[in-house]
Amino acid sequence: MDTSVEMMSDSKLKAQKVNVFYAEKQALFDVSLGIDEKSVTSFIGPSGCGKSTFLRCFNRMNDVIPSCRVQGQILLDDVDLNSPKIDPVLLRARVGMVFQKPNPFPKTVYENVAYGPRIHGLAANRQEMDFIVEDSLKKAGLWKEVSDRLNDQATGLSGGQQQRLCIARAIAIGPDILLMDEPCSALDPIATSIIEELISDLQSRFTILIVTHSMQQAARVSQKTAYFHLGQLIEYGDTKGIFTRPQNEQTEAYISGKIG
Amino acid sequence: MNDHHEIVSSSAGVAGLYNAPTSVRMAHIAAGLKKRRAASKRLRIYGIAAICTAIGFLCILLTTIISNGYTALQQTEIAVTIDVPADEIVDANGVIDVDKSRNYNWDGLVKRSFRKAFPEVTGMLEQRSLGELLSANAGYDLRLQIEAAGTVPTGAVTYWVKSSDDVDMLMKGRMDRSIDEKKRRIKDNQLVWFDKIVAEGSVRLAFNSTFFTAADSREPESAGVLGAIVGSAMALVITVMLALPLAVMAAVYLEYFAPPGRLTDFIEVNVNNLAAVPSIVFGLLGLAVFLGFFGMPRSAPLVGGMVLALMTLPTIIIATRASIRAVPTSIRDAALGLGASPMQTALDHVLPLAAPGILTGTIIGIAQALGETAPLIMIGMVAFIVDVPTSFTDPATALPVQIFIWSDSAERAFYERASLAIMALLLFLISMNMTAVLLRRKFEKKW
Amino acid sequence: MTFLTSNVALLILTIIFGFVAYTLAHQRIRSHVARDGVKAHSLVKYYGVYAALWTLVPASVLALVWAFAADPLLINAAEARLRLAYPSLPPSFLELKAAQLQNIAAGFIDAPDEIMAAEAAALKESMNRVDLARVLTLLTVMMIGFLFAFLRITPQLKARVAFEGFLRRSFFAAAVLAILTTIGIISSLLFEAYRFFSEISMIDFFFGTHWSPMVSLREGTETAADEAVAGSSGSFGMVPVMLGTLLVALIAMLVAVPVGLFSAIYTADFAPRKVRNVIKPALEVLAGIPTVVYGYFAALTAAPFFRDAGMLVGLDVSSQSALAAGGVMGIMIIPFISSLSDDVISAVPQSLRDGALGLGSTRAETMLRVVLPSAFPGLVGAFLLAFSRAVGETMIVVMAAGVAANLTINPLESVTTVTVQIVMLLTGDNEFDSVKTLSAFALGITLFVVTLVLNIAALHVSRKLGQRYE
Repeated sequence: MDTSVEMMSDSKLKAQKVNVFYAEKQALFDVSLGIDEKSVTSFIGPSGCGKSTFLRCFNRMNDVIPSCRVQGQILLDDVDLNSPKIDPVLLRARVGMVFQKPNPFPKTVYENVAYGPRIHGLAANRQEMDFIVEDSLKKAGLWKEVSDRLNDQATGLSGGQQQRLCIARAIAIGPDILLMDEPCSALDPIATSIIEELISDLQSRFTILIVTHSMQQAARVSQKTAYFHLGQLIEYGDTKGIFTRPQNEQTEAYISGKIG
Repeated sequence: MNDHHEIVSSSAGVAGLYNAPTSVRMAHIAAGLKKRRAASKRLRIYGIAAICTAIGFLCILLTTIISNGYTALQQTEIAVTIDVPADEIVDANGVIDVDKSRNYNWDGLVKRSFRKAFPEVTGMLEQRSLGELLSANAGYDLRLQIEAAGTVPTGAVTYWVKSSDDVDMLMKGRMDRSIDEKKRRIKDNQLVWFDKIVAEGSVRLAFNSTFFTAADSREPESAGVLGAIVGSAMALVITVMLALPLAVMAAVYLEYFAPPGRLTDFIEVNVNNLAAVPSIVFGLLGLAVFLGFFGMPRSAPLVGGMVLALMTLPTIIIATRASIRAVPTSIRDAALGLGASPMQTALDHVLPLAAPGILTGTIIGIAQALGETAPLIMIGMVAFIVDVPTSFTDPATALPVQIFIWSDSAERAFYERASLAIMALLLFLISMNMTAVLLRRKFEKKW
Repeated sequence: MTFLTSNVALLILTIIFGFVAYTLAHQRIRSHVARDGVKAHSLVKYYGVYAALWTLVPASVLALVWAFAADPLLINAAEARLRLAYPSLPPSFLELKAAQLQNIAAGFIDAPDEIMAAEAAALKESMNRVDLARVLTLLTVMMIGFLFAFLRITPQLKARVAFEGFLRRSFFAAAVLAILTTIGIISSLLFEAYRFFSEISMIDFFFGTHWSPMVSLREGTETAADEAVAGSSGSFGMVPVMLGTLLVALIAMLVAVPVGLFSAIYTADFAPRKVRNVIKPALEVLAGIPTVVYGYFAALTAAPFFRDAGMLVGLDVSSQSALAAGGVMGIMIIPFISSLSDDVISAVPQSLRDGALGLGSTRAETMLRVVLPSAFPGLVGAFLLAFSRAVGETMIVVMAAGVAANLTINPLESVTTVTVQIVMLLTGDNEFDSVKTLSAFALGITLFVVTLVLNIAALHVSRKLGQRYE
């Protein structure tokens, strides 16, 4: 515990004693950790351990679920995100999210990327919007594949392309932080490796939080890893350390494949 | 917005806000937020307004019907002092002779006795308008009272007999005295007489039991819903007897035995489409096939029930299939695994478990059939029928059709009875739907 | 004698027969099994059921056919004899006489003259004979059926398989009834419509702009023959009727679509669960109200209200205005649209909503820019179904819309609709064969086709939605 608090002092994102309840059922217990700027942090653990729930605390997506209650503090640049003064709309413009299943809107590729800038009024004219769309698609590594299909339905793209489109869609608003909720779980190995490369590229611009059930993926893409079990944060630290010298028996059991 | 976008690569300049520092971008978004929040609020308000409109309509509808109809629970009666001539209607033993009673001119007696209270009214025409204050069936009304009592009292006794429907409306405040006499159904002189008997206390509002014990009549005060209710009940018995077994059989076939293929697809398309065919078309089918081709009797609950059965069949089939599908396949597999034939599995294991769902679907289908009017009109159940039907082939009418007939009548008093009949109909429907909801609640299983 | 041939006696006899067949078959299989020492293929009860079915089913089918066929045959024969007895009577009067004859034979009324009395007696006599013949035939059929089954009963007989085969075939027959109903609708409507179109040209019917089938009545023609002639010269151009139908349905949609859609938007994505649990049943109540109640409301409350309101602002509103009928029909359709739209909106996957919200959309932006466009085909399907319902709706317009076919799109005037005309043409004492009544079937098939096309289009459009989410 002490180490984690220590680590938090200069972190961009800090969680302090976060508890989450679904109706009467508690899903997270007193989770505290700090996340470094412009790095990739992965949350691992067996399914139902609360890692996705925790991720959704960072852009208040849990607000969408009526029975869900969040206690504790999440600080972004030392401002509490759960304070009533924070508008979730504004927050989500700053903290982008990519979901488990690719969920492009049933619109064209162009309109999917333009959606965010359009609702937030970020582009003053067509040229600006074109630039945003092109830049975002390039950052998401999709530009080459779709530059001549911008007016096609996004649902016609392959699964991996759809997921990268969703990443481009999130990037287009210019967030600082990207949340990724098992972004590769619905994709084949080739598409997965492309996304993993992309994540490494994006790391220079964004603070990335990724939930994954694949330990190899966590090992490949992240600098830090947090292991969750039954709603508790069991262990948090450098990815290398977690995988080579886990401090906790449970973490070791999970990593060595005894539980999960 | 959706015009074609051709981005000429790197021709665009650097987009201002997109590349601006986060704080600048956030400030810009925050500035626009108020407007967006307002738009969100507006949409919510539109939604609430729409809901309120819908529920408001429901309230207006129900209040209109209740306020129009509750007065029909009472009927105006007028006290008439009558000296019934016993010798004209009793036999040698002093018991009422039904034949004599039937042939006796009760109408004349009532009207003569009523006129005695108005010695000042002498002219033929005037006397006639005076008599019009009483129901045209006042004599029949009196006869029933006397026959029910069993004996004829000696001397003058006061009887309460029904007033005419116009007096009834006047009494209930549903007739405007101030309008021009020519447009008014109660004339000035009748108003004077009416006020006189009201002042004497010879007018009262009594419970309208006729409404619940009689069939239709030309006179609103003698009309009731019993005939229509019995007609509806008979038709629905036929409907249930035909539609329920046929629908369950068809549903079991489609869920268990239908081989995938064109015929099965075609059956399904037909079932789904029949559910959306206008009900009047089923009426035309009944008219052309049941009446025209098979020569079945017109206006009969039997035919009405058959038409309604065809109409509700798709509804019940769809509900039955849904509840059969809700039974988990594990139960089906278990029965098949124990060596039961598919038929035994379906009949002995799946159907009993699906029964509550089937019942719920049936009740909802029957409730729909109960409210249905147009197809019954097509097969002639719209006739004017004064007797309560006693068999499935008797001419009969149905409750919703009765409402239609009365709403279409000229007499104001029929409107009020139509409203009361609507209340009765809604009561039946609500209790049926409640039963369905309760059944569903009670048997709702989470597998 | 009459009791023996009555339906009740026959029913009792049938039940006894079935029971006896069951018992005898039961005994036979048991004794077989005991004697031969072999195991029966099926449970013994199936052999009983097997015999009972063979005893009862053929006889029941025969009885049903008999019930439909016998009386009309006898009455036709009697009518033929009456034609000889009264050579001068026109056919429609003969039918009346025949009906009278039945009533005399049944003892409901007294015979007006000797010919009728004699004919009635003859009819009664033959009916009695036929009744007796029926009982004897049915009993024989039962006997034969029973003997056939009984003799086949051996332990090797696959009684259960035969029984289940019978059930499966009956189930199939029940399912096919749906097809038969459709065929029945189409063929009966087409048959009558065909007779109509042999007198009135299709072009006149579908493109004529003048509709007055009742012209003969208005001009006060006297005899039936005159009426038939005048009736066939009435005008049967359905354009004003169809236009009126569409006008009323359109008014209904103008009321129902905004209210229903916004209600659905609210209940699906905005309302707290508790509010939703109150609103949905309330809308269901609205949906469960029979159309005749709406008709009552339209005719006796809404129509006078619109007329008086119009008078206040100096507008001349008909007391049977399309506005009143359409408006009330709109109220009727609100719950239909709201519940269908609610289903469609709720079927849009949560992941799309999450995607929109995750990008910082407000709830309204999520709904208007993502959810509704995704649900669009389904919503169009729902609206088409609702429109089809409005076009086929009968009672509201019968009670509140007009009878005269005005060629107008002014909602304040009175228009008539297809369903109103059908009801009007087929109620009252019309002859079944006159062009007037036949025209109702021509309208009927038009209505059926229009609603069918709308329903199929609705299905087609909303099916596209399902594919999108895969």
